[in-house]
Amino acid sequence: MPRTRFKPQVKQNQTFSLNITSMTDMFTILLVFLLQNFAAGEAQIQAVENVRLPTSNTEKNPVNGIQISLSPRELKMDQTTLAKVENQDIAGANLDPHDPSFIKPLFEKLNQLNLEAKSKNLKNSGQVLLLADQDLPYSLIRKVMYTASMAGFPNLKLITTVGE
Amino acid sequence: MRRRYKPAINHNSEFELDLAPLLAVMVKLVPVMLISSAFVQMMMVETELPQIVQAAIAKQEQQIKNPVIMLSFDRQHGIEILVEQDGDRKTEHIDLTSDKKFDYAALNKKMQAVKTQYPEAFKVQFDPGADVSYKEIVRLMDEVRQSREKSVRFPIKDTKTGEMTTTDYMFPEVIFSQMTEG
Repeated sequence: MPRTRFKPQVKQNQTFSLNITSMTDMFTILLVFLLQNFAAGEAQIQAVENVRLPTSNTEKNPVNGIQISLSPRELKMDQTTLAKVENQDIAGANLDPHDPSFIKPLFEKLNQLNLEAKSKNLKNSGQVLLLADQDLPYSLIRKVMYTASMAGFPNLKLITTVGE
Repeated sequence: MRRRYKPAINHNSEFELDLAPLLAVMVKLVPVMLISSAFVQMMMVETELPQIVQAAIAKQEQQIKNPVIMLSFDRQHGIEILVEQDGDRKTEHIDLTSDKKFDYAALNKKMQAVKTQYPEAFKVQFDPGADVSYKEIVRLMDEVRQSREKSVRFPIKDTKTGEMTTTDYMFPEVIFSQMTEG
């Protein structure tokens, strides 16, 4: 009689319990890391397309204010496009012909906010948060600053990323 | 006599903790935290844009109490530091480096010297050239704000206690000058 090969006995309907201890460990570490990075500041600032913010060693957290973003393509207030940027300057049609530093649509928008605040008896904080691309020249940024100052927003907060 | 029933307890027994509910909570919590986390941390640099009247008042106040410290810089001439008090003007110049960049280290050193001379001054006026990039302006603001060496500290009077203490802050208040001249 030939020898038969050994066959281990396998139970077909066997149930097994999954060991989830290591997975729980991993999730705990992940949760602690996420809690550390959780944005708990006073103001939430959304990143703007085509805007690479400069880095700074400042330790001040952003506050609430009117967000103006300046990219190499356009000038925006919150999500509204106010003016086009061409060759690192505001497109000519948006500038006052008598004052080339004065951006008309920006002034009108800020002035409108001022009037709305006055009608509701709210005090204008005069705070503007500027999110500008790091490679833009001062000549362009100055126009935004100048117009904001003229519209009654003299306190400018420059938004930066955490640097080295 | 009937003996009272005593259940047999094995004191050396081991049991397995059911981690499934904990894991279920974490699986829900982790995506929520991932969505609301800010991986790029943003900070803020404060500046003032004095309006015509405010500028005049600020200038007057500065003339009475503290010196006017002004930084003029552009990509052709480098940085010029002007310190003016009681009609006495002192000017210092920092050339561009060999690769046509601003000499940030030299500026920090010079500003340390100015701060040592005028410890009660905290404001500095910036007058950037049109061709200076925003990145360079922010970097220059960083250099005048704090001394690079943590060992270099400046005396400051605590307004609450009246006691003298030290700080590494030099000129944290930056004002952009000539903003209202159009």
